[in-house]
Amino acid sequence: MASLAIRMAAVALCMLATQAVAQIRVGVSVSASGPAASLGIPEKNTFALLPTTIAGKKVTYIILDDASDTTTAVKNARRFVSEDKVDAIIGSTITPNSLAMIDVAAEASTPMISMAASARIVEPMDDKRRWIFKTPQGDGQMAQAIAEHMVKAGVKRVGFIGFADAYGEGWWKEFDTHTRARGISVVGNERYNRTDTFVTGQVLKLIAARPDAVLIAGSGTPAALPQKALKDKGFKGRIYQTHGVANADFLRVGGKDVEGTLLPAGPVLVAAGLPASHPVRKSALEYVTAYEKAYGAGSVSTFGAHAWDAMVLLRNAVPAALKKARPGTPEFRAALRDALENTRDLAAAHGVFDMSAQNHSGLDQRAVVMVRIENGTWKLIP
Amino acid sequence: MSFDIALFLTQDGLTNGAIYALMALALVLVFAVTRVIFVPQGEFLAYGALTLASLEAGKLPGTIWLLLALGILAFLFDLPGLLRQRRARAALQSATWNLAVPLLIAALVYVMATEQTARPVQIALTCALVVPLGPLLYRVAYQPIADAPVLVLLIVSVALHFALSGLGLLLFGAEGVRTAPFSDASFTAGALVVSGQSLWVYACSVVLMALLYLFFDRTLYGKALRATAVNRIGARLSGISTVFAGRASFLLAASIGVFSGVLIAPITTIYYDTGFLVGLKGFVGAIIGGLISYPLAAAGALLVGLLESFASFYASAFKEVIVFTLIIPVLLWLSLRTHHDEEEE
Amino acid sequence: MRRGLLVLLAGLFAFAPALLSDYWTTLLDYIGLYALVVLGIVLLTGIAGQVSFGQAAFVGLGAYATAWLTTAHDASPWIGLLLGLLVTAVFALVLGLITTRLSGHFLPLGTIAWGLALFYLFGNLEFLGGFTGMSGIPPLQVLGHELRSAQSFFYPIWLCVLAAVLSIQWLLDSRSGRAIRALRSTASMAQSFGVDTATLKVKVFVYAALLAALSGWLYAHFQRFVNPTPFGLHVGIEYLFMAVVGGAGYVWGALLGAALITVLKQLLQSVLPQLVGSSGQFEIVVFGVLLIAVLHGAREGIWGWIDARITPLRPHRRMIAAAAAPAARARPAPDSVLLEVRAARKTFGGLIAVNDVSFEQRAGEILGLIGPNGAGKSTTFNLITGMLPLSGGEVRFRGQSLAGLPPARIARLGIARTFQHVKLVPGMSVLENVALGGHLRGGAGFVRGMLHLERAEERLLLAEAARQIERVGLGEHLHTPAGSLALGMQRIVEVARALAADPTLLLLDEPAAGLRYQEKQALARLLEKLRGEGLSILLVEHDMDFVMGLVDRVVVLDFGVKLAEGLPRTVRDDPVVIEAYLGA
Repeated sequence: MASLAIRMAAVALCMLATQAVAQIRVGVSVSASGPAASLGIPEKNTFALLPTTIAGKKVTYIILDDASDTTTAVKNARRFVSEDKVDAIIGSTITPNSLAMIDVAAEASTPMISMAASARIVEPMDDKRRWIFKTPQGDGQMAQAIAEHMVKAGVKRVGFIGFADAYGEGWWKEFDTHTRARGISVVGNERYNRTDTFVTGQVLKLIAARPDAVLIAGSGTPAALPQKALKDKGFKGRIYQTHGVANADFLRVGGKDVEGTLLPAGPVLVAAGLPASHPVRKSALEYVTAYEKAYGAGSVSTFGAHAWDAMVLLRNAVPAALKKARPGTPEFRAALRDALENTRDLAAAHGVFDMSAQNHSGLDQRAVVMVRIENGTWKLIP
Repeated sequence: MSFDIALFLTQDGLTNGAIYALMALALVLVFAVTRVIFVPQGEFLAYGALTLASLEAGKLPGTIWLLLALGILAFLFDLPGLLRQRRARAALQSATWNLAVPLLIAALVYVMATEQTARPVQIALTCALVVPLGPLLYRVAYQPIADAPVLVLLIVSVALHFALSGLGLLLFGAEGVRTAPFSDASFTAGALVVSGQSLWVYACSVVLMALLYLFFDRTLYGKALRATAVNRIGARLSGISTVFAGRASFLLAASIGVFSGVLIAPITTIYYDTGFLVGLKGFVGAIIGGLISYPLAAAGALLVGLLESFASFYASAFKEVIVFTLIIPVLLWLSLRTHHDEEEE
Repeated sequence: MRRGLLVLLAGLFAFAPALLSDYWTTLLDYIGLYALVVLGIVLLTGIAGQVSFGQAAFVGLGAYATAWLTTAHDASPWIGLLLGLLVTAVFALVLGLITTRLSGHFLPLGTIAWGLALFYLFGNLEFLGGFTGMSGIPPLQVLGHELRSAQSFFYPIWLCVLAAVLSIQWLLDSRSGRAIRALRSTASMAQSFGVDTATLKVKVFVYAALLAALSGWLYAHFQRFVNPTPFGLHVGIEYLFMAVVGGAGYVWGALLGAALITVLKQLLQSVLPQLVGSSGQFEIVVFGVLLIAVLHGAREGIWGWIDARITPLRPHRRMIAAAAAPAARARPAPDSVLLEVRAARKTFGGLIAVNDVSFEQRAGEILGLIGPNGAGKSTTFNLITGMLPLSGGEVRFRGQSLAGLPPARIARLGIARTFQHVKLVPGMSVLENVALGGHLRGGAGFVRGMLHLERAEERLLLAEAARQIERVGLGEHLHTPAGSLALGMQRIVEVARALAADPTLLLLDEPAAGLRYQEKQALARLLEKLRGEGLSILLVEHDMDFVMGLVDRVVVLDFGVKLAEGLPRTVRDDPVVIEAYLGA
């Protein structure tokens, strides 16, 4: 008991002491527990791999779990800006949490890099969103890739089944827009819960609408459930998944039922299979190597790479900001924001970032590749 | 809706309902004996499935450490009493059940986990690992406050649920598992395809319910448990230890939970947090049975399963809204026809 | 002294934002937001005994109403507040009418059911932003001042908390409050003193929901973003959690619980990774384990634990001002027929518990209703008081039929009773318990009680209660918690409570059961004294010796049938009665 107290005191002292040295402090809010844990955990793991110095300055990451809950995410953000006096915020994993953190970051004039996908986080550009950036491809970009692939494959009728949460909802909106624009008719729109044990009802209804293909908008292993049910009930059409399934566990749980699945993903998923000329190949492999070295072969997931990319953005922007001000000052944060906005042609794990005053996402279609599952691995479709 | 679809939905509803019914039975059992509304009942299902999946993958299941830790904790809880009483037999008993047995099980699993073992062996190891958690949890979390009001016991259950689901995430990770089915066979009856595994679910649930019935109706232990359920003080006066009854009921509940997990893991994906919603739906069934009646609880749980299955067809986005809104009139009707003694708290 | 200390603390607290860092002020803001909801739960669950898991859904209603109005229609947040309260009141009224009718364990499940249903409804309604949520909610404006910082938000939040605490304290201290405190374990007693328990439960339910909605409104403008997750079942459970850990039966427990849980979570979040490394999510595990440990040590919650250690030293004394007695009822003429029971019959399934029993009670007499165990005495008693409906026959009181009247209406006619199993509210003082007997002699309602606008009437009721306590000879126990008295005294308190109702007829259900000899003597003397003061008493008793020396006439029941009726002496010698008592 006494030793615990001493340790706690030491911790408190350390916290005080580190605050005094001019260094770069980054507040990180990830959803490492709760419903989004399967996305948040690889992100959290990634932070352990990140360099501890950027441009000669020590970088401290203060990593907090927001339990996939918006209130906690905002609490974390308020703590970062008021208590930890961070120079930048990274987070959160999911869209609602990121949206909720915008006001806090913007009011404290602190740049924030979200790891969630929705375009709503950085659009429409306004006074608050000046401070907000994001690393993942938008759901819109991913949906566009799927829709284009469907057109090429001759899909006319398509069914949709997604999570009954922000993920499924965001995908539904983008998917609906992009398929409609290409003359594909959406014949079914179903929802299920991440922890549901059965989706037979939804799947039967989808099949009854006779689609040529079905898109399943779920993340991680729960996305395998509708696919298994579709196969069980004799669905023969194409099955598309979203990039949310891009981890090894999905392949493990899905087994032979997910063979032939098509999905859009960041190039990092198939980094080794990218042609040597691909602009992202080198930077993507850098992440994959680092992650698998720490956590074992095959452990990499594309979500962790969003965290990595956030660091890549910072690594690129910090030197410019350091020229203008010292870390820990409002001037530094403003300079950092400007530098982030000036990111040009920066290759990262998921694509090439090209920011502008109006575009705080910066990824173009080079950040999306179509992938097929073959023999239990991800294969790039050229 | 065609007849085929209705058949499919009914089949699914029944499979789900059977699992909910098992949860409901366990909840009724635990509540009747100990007045604990056992929120973490679903966690046993998840732990069972996840442990089995670990063994299947040739990995050491994380539950092994939990078992050892809980055993030590339970022994430490016993210790002050043992020191006061200075009775060698009691001390030996406590050490055996809390330290030696878990250690033995853990050692066994440790040796066997990485070996290629047959399916029944894996299931037996899973049970040996997870089921003892039931009585150990009772010892540690509930026994010290066994006579507290129902509300306090409920909140302890909630806290325990938080801790166990957090541990689940820690021990098994966020992603789900699915185990190999007991049987790959499927039977065709008209348009309906019935998988061998769902037959297993039906058969096992029925057998389990029958066994529970026999246990409570025919055996001395069962009768003792029932006596405690009816009248705690009376049971104590007639020499039935409430501590024994509590642990026994938790042992049974844990067994039912693990068993359900093993049954359902081949049909669906189980996550560290699957347990809560499954348990909740079992709870709905249990409440419909007034937390007293086993057949009514099972019927209520089946009803929930069917409702859910059909709601997911008609309006999947509003599935939970439909299921839970339809529960309210049922509750109202039940309330009006059952008389509750206000002093039962 | 106590009040002074509180004011001092509150004064200090007002400077908290200036003294604390931004971060701690932020935490205090959240604690205040949670405390508002938890205060409602303390009232609803801890005090009125209605367990609710669904309060988070009401927070959601309050938050979404203002979020929608201020973003989609550019309305002022104040209109958002009005809409939020209105919508919540309507929802709570409907849900309350349904769920407070649910008995026992059906109630918590009912709250889970609509809690979940509302959560999914929020997520599926397009105009409420779906699962993704609504952003861009404007900050609150007070006197042209925008409240954006944690410091500026501190005051509106904690003023609301202060108002909620005061309103609940005042409410509990009023006529309605005493009735609310009786709801949990002694609702049938409250009914027999004229409390409309069903309506009262709904009122408590709606008030708790409104507090939650107020918290939701503040939350929406503080957070400036809403989505369904903070209003889900898990959060609803967490609110209940805060209440129980803090002390569900105590108003201050709500504040303590909200503070403790919030701070604990934050501390774990920052301290744990430094102690055990940041590789896993230990927070929730340690959180759960710590809370189990807390409940093991303090099952009444932490405030309950503290309260048990300070209250005995300083009992809460109520000042009793001299006041005139409240209006009394006109007494019936002596010896006129007061109560007529005509061929009363009660069957349970095939069993006939009361078989065509008839008798009369006259004004000014003590009538004994006796018989061995299972004779149907208590059933007859319950037929008169309206606790059980008649299967046949009739009961008339002062010429009016009582058939079909609920206990509360029968109480209004001037019948007051005691209970075989003492039904006092153990945590309330003797004075408050007895004042509950005078419920129908006051008229101040829920809202007036909350605002302390009923002090004049309250003084009258308390003075009357004190008078009745003096009358039964328990003057020195005025401020003692009723639960700490010996059984004999508790029975006397029950008599005083019945007397506070100013009854024409006093019904006593086995008042001597479980009493020692001296206590019986004291009770008998008291009843004789009351008869001397012109009161009519119907006494159901099992103890022959006690009855025979006391009553004017007796009615003997056995197996639901009237065996004999008459003067004690004649009945005692009746061979049929002797056989019934001594057995064949």
